[in-house]
Amino acid sequence: MMVTKESIEVIAQSIGISTLSPDVSAALAPDVEYRVREVMQEAIKCMRHARRTTLMAHDVDSALHFRNLEPTCGFTSSKTVRLKRAPEHRDLYFFDDKDVELKNVLEAPLLNAPPDASITSHWLAIDGIQPSIPQNSPVQAISDVKRSEYKDDGLPARHVLSKELQIYYDKVTEWALTLSGSTVFRQALTSLETDPGLHPLVPFFTCFIAEEIVRNMDNYPILLALMRLARSLLHNPHVHLEPYLHQLMPSIITCLIAKRLGKRLSDSHWDLRNFTAGTVAATCKRFGHVYHNLLPRVTRSLLHTFLDPTKALPQHYGAIQGMVALGLNVVRFVVLPNLEPYLLLLLPEMAHEKQKDGAKRHEAWLVYGVLMVAAGRCLYERLKTSQTLLSPPTRSVWKTDGKLTNPRQSKRKASSDNLTHQPPLKKIAAEGIMQMSSTQMQMGLSAVPQQSPLVGRDVSPRTSATLGTDVDNFLFPLFDYFGESMLMFTPKHELSFFL
Amino acid sequence: MDAERIDEFVMVYLKKKGFDSAAKDLQLALHHNNGSSFNSIDYPNDPELTKLIRSFSQSDDHPTQYRESYSKLRSWAYNSLDLYKHELLRVMYPVFIHCYMDLVGKGHTQEARAFFNSFRKDHEMINLRDLQKLEGVLTPSHLEEMEFARALRQSKVNIKICQYSYDLLLQYLHRTESTLMLGIINEHINFQVYSGQPISGSDDIEAVTIVGSFQEPANHINQKEIQWGLLEDSLDDRLEKGGLLSDSEKGQGESKDGDMDDSKKRSIEVGKQGSSLKKLKKDKAGSATAKVARQETSTVPLAPRVKAELALPVMSTDVEESMLEDLRNRVQLSSVAMPSVSFYTFVNTHNGLNCASISHDGSLVAGGFSDSSIKVWDMAKLGQAGSLQGENDTNDQIGGPNGRRNYTLLLGHSGPVYSATFSPPGDFVLSSSADTTIRLWSTKLNANLVCYKGHNYPVWDVQFSPFGHYFASCSHDRTARIWSMDRVQPLRIMAGHLSDVDCVQWHPNCNYIATGSSDKTVRLWDVQTGECVRIFIGHRSMVLSLAMSPDGRYMASGDEDGTIMMWDLSTARCITPLMGHNSCVWSLSYSGEGSLLASGSADCTVKLWDVTSSTKLTKAEEKNGNSNRLRSLRTFPTKSTPVHALRFSRRNLLFAAGALSKPES
Repeated sequence: MMVTKESIEVIAQSIGISTLSPDVSAALAPDVEYRVREVMQEAIKCMRHARRTTLMAHDVDSALHFRNLEPTCGFTSSKTVRLKRAPEHRDLYFFDDKDVELKNVLEAPLLNAPPDASITSHWLAIDGIQPSIPQNSPVQAISDVKRSEYKDDGLPARHVLSKELQIYYDKVTEWALTLSGSTVFRQALTSLETDPGLHPLVPFFTCFIAEEIVRNMDNYPILLALMRLARSLLHNPHVHLEPYLHQLMPSIITCLIAKRLGKRLSDSHWDLRNFTAGTVAATCKRFGHVYHNLLPRVTRSLLHTFLDPTKALPQHYGAIQGMVALGLNVVRFVVLPNLEPYLLLLLPEMAHEKQKDGAKRHEAWLVYGVLMVAAGRCLYERLKTSQTLLSPPTRSVWKTDGKLTNPRQSKRKASSDNLTHQPPLKKIAAEGIMQMSSTQMQMGLSAVPQQSPLVGRDVSPRTSATLGTDVDNFLFPLFDYFGESMLMFTPKHELSFFL
Repeated sequence: MDAERIDEFVMVYLKKKGFDSAAKDLQLALHHNNGSSFNSIDYPNDPELTKLIRSFSQSDDHPTQYRESYSKLRSWAYNSLDLYKHELLRVMYPVFIHCYMDLVGKGHTQEARAFFNSFRKDHEMINLRDLQKLEGVLTPSHLEEMEFARALRQSKVNIKICQYSYDLLLQYLHRTESTLMLGIINEHINFQVYSGQPISGSDDIEAVTIVGSFQEPANHINQKEIQWGLLEDSLDDRLEKGGLLSDSEKGQGESKDGDMDDSKKRSIEVGKQGSSLKKLKKDKAGSATAKVARQETSTVPLAPRVKAELALPVMSTDVEESMLEDLRNRVQLSSVAMPSVSFYTFVNTHNGLNCASISHDGSLVAGGFSDSSIKVWDMAKLGQAGSLQGENDTNDQIGGPNGRRNYTLLLGHSGPVYSATFSPPGDFVLSSSADTTIRLWSTKLNANLVCYKGHNYPVWDVQFSPFGHYFASCSHDRTARIWSMDRVQPLRIMAGHLSDVDCVQWHPNCNYIATGSSDKTVRLWDVQTGECVRIFIGHRSMVLSLAMSPDGRYMASGDEDGTIMMWDLSTARCITPLMGHNSCVWSLSYSGEGSLLASGSADCTVKLWDVTSSTKLTKAEEKNGNSNRLRSLRTFPTKSTPVHALRFSRRNLLFAAGALSKPES
């Protein structure tokens, strides 16, 4: 800090003394600097005794008070003063004080009273070990300590579970098996998701999940509870799950593509598969960068199931759902190329005349629905990214396939009902693709004068032909396979183009 | 050289130095004698003298001269032999500040400033705070006014230097004829020359710090006798009734000499004894024998016993019983048996929490706020309220209009509250404030009982004595005062610190108090006589916290930079500096048996230090220059909560408190 003669002159002028002799300012400058330093020294003492490390305006006021001086006015900020550096000056700072409209201040509603001071207590350490609880700082300080201990001992790390953790583990596993629907289990899941201190339990939980899934393949509620448990663990940012993934993933994938999940018909194993698909995708997303072969491996095993015609339809369903959850790229490069041969297998299952078993037919329709959603989302994304490539129709790709249309027409209502009940659709909607719902609305509007499917079919070939030209080879035939249901997935923009 | 020119030089010199009358006399004499009598001394034949006289007349009053000769000396020192360099560099700092003050004193403000700025980098690392103070001194009147500068001017700095370095320095000064530097060095530095090799750089702290005028008196004061033992018939004593009486008597004799070796031996002995007795303890299940064994394992019995100089209050038997019960159930802590730490986090304080205090059993927590209020939380009741959630409001024991408030609000001060302390049984709270008063509050009545007026400036700290009734306070008015609860006037005033007294702490035997100050020293005062009996020099910044070991032998002090120093009270020497914190150490606390020291800091950590190893290993570490990081046992980081207060309960549970401060984005 340096108070110069010039600054003294400026200050003098600002308070109305225009004629200040140079001698005076020269004599005043060093003294002013000394006094300012003196006040600052006292202010710093006040700051220290207020147990702070940032100097605040009222520290200076108290320092002035010690010297029997008037306190400063207009600087009683409760927050720390933010100083801005003046542009083009290296060491000139100013207090960024914005103009406030008095009217606005007066008219502003009264602020809420600030919350009153209170106190909370927690364990910072128990017998010298810092417990990992949300109240403690979650940094690796603990693991550092552990590592150093490990070095000191020269022995393999002992795995010591504290009593609290043991009780925690016992309770959570007990609830998972018995009280899976209760609020207490839900709270336990929340705790699993957020608690930073659960790392020591991870091997136990993974082992538990693996064992119990094998044991309870026919118990739907337990399977669902276990999947929720796994998902909560995966969501916990403080848990390092990487070393245990190889143990956990097979169990999860089992829940996705197992032949039978639960024993009763009322068990909605579809829901479980959908849920698990999300979990698988989340896992791949979180640990994909650590394990580069995680995504390919998962995809491969799912694809294997998908392409195996001997597997049951629910298994196919789970595989497709899993791949859909893994992302559109997976769908585009893995599912779509295999769509045609697969549909050849699937369609007979859906047809009334071929498949007499209603349950089987229902399953086939569900698989068909999920395939359609997968393809449709692909189409949607594709169209969205290639809006400029629209060109006039060159050829009509629409083929009226009697075999296909007939069951579709007849079953249309049922299948769409089914679809709307399926979580994938909900999920898509929830993901914020609002255009889609509005698209559907527009579709509904445009369909008003075309109540009969025949008229509707007049419209659709043209549209699909228009779109068909610019997309991938695999996207062309989508309309072949799914018909105008695909229109649901065309973005609003294109649709308005046509309407 | 002819005599007339020499007379001329002398004349000029006298005038410059302001010896006007002497100059006049000389002129008169010259006039009278026409130079005849002066020639009787044979100036011309003494070339050295001529040179000296000439240099006197030439060099002075040229402000640039300071700069030149200082920079010459500096470059010489930097280019000197590595072995001696650090000793020679040590000389540079006093020379530097005195050159600066000389320049200021002669009114060359601009030159002084330029000089200061060009060389301050050299000394910033060690003496930053002093430099910041001196930087503001710009006129001769400031030199007079500022105590620090005055102290520097009046005193001599002691510098230990080996024979060879000293010779080198003298040779250099002689050879270059830099009389200016020689003058400064002679005037302000007191060399303590020793033979042999220079000491390695590690032991520098005392050597480098410039302590103003009190190094000499400090050495003198530190010769006084002190009796650091524990009180006869104290609780600890009663706990071990029938215990090792003979041992404690034996210990009494050697309290004063503070023989390090002896104490070391004893502490090792204790260690051995402890381990063997622990085994013994396991074998015997009987409660009586276990009790005896426990007492023997603790280090307490080895502390000598002294008589109380103050008339101590009589404790009620209930309170005493509960305290004894606590002591019996005390967990034994050591470097392998760590304590549990319970942390009290203040939330929504809006930067207003100035101090926090925890009662001896950890059940009450008081916070002093900058809005003049004191808030006392009863943690036991808070816990209940938490479990009884949903039931109707049971917390209106507070009595305030707002039934939902879960603390006791104590209003009475008219300025920020800087300190609060609980009486040992927890029935009273004392608070000190910027309004210069100390107030006594009853936690039973939730009301103010007494207002103690006496200090003239803000009272920074107040502490109850270990037995209650008496308390000590310290203030910006540079005094510490001893009070008793029943008198509104202080009983003793301890004056002597050169700057604010920032913290105060009682010795466990109540016969002494320790004070830490902004003058970077810690002093120990005799409560009965009010005399200063020890000065502890070594801190490099303001001392913020103090703690006394339960056996009364050691003291720990923490400063603004995060350094903690352990002192031996009898020798007034620093046993070891404990480095590790990187911000203000707000609070220190010894565990019940004195084996651990806890420190809480503004860097949002609580650290535990192994006291026994710090005291034992001193010699060994001196030899191999081991780092002292090993003595830090644990670091517990908090979640952005600076640690304001720490307290080991009588059962050795560590309580810590701090206000959550969200990092500003």
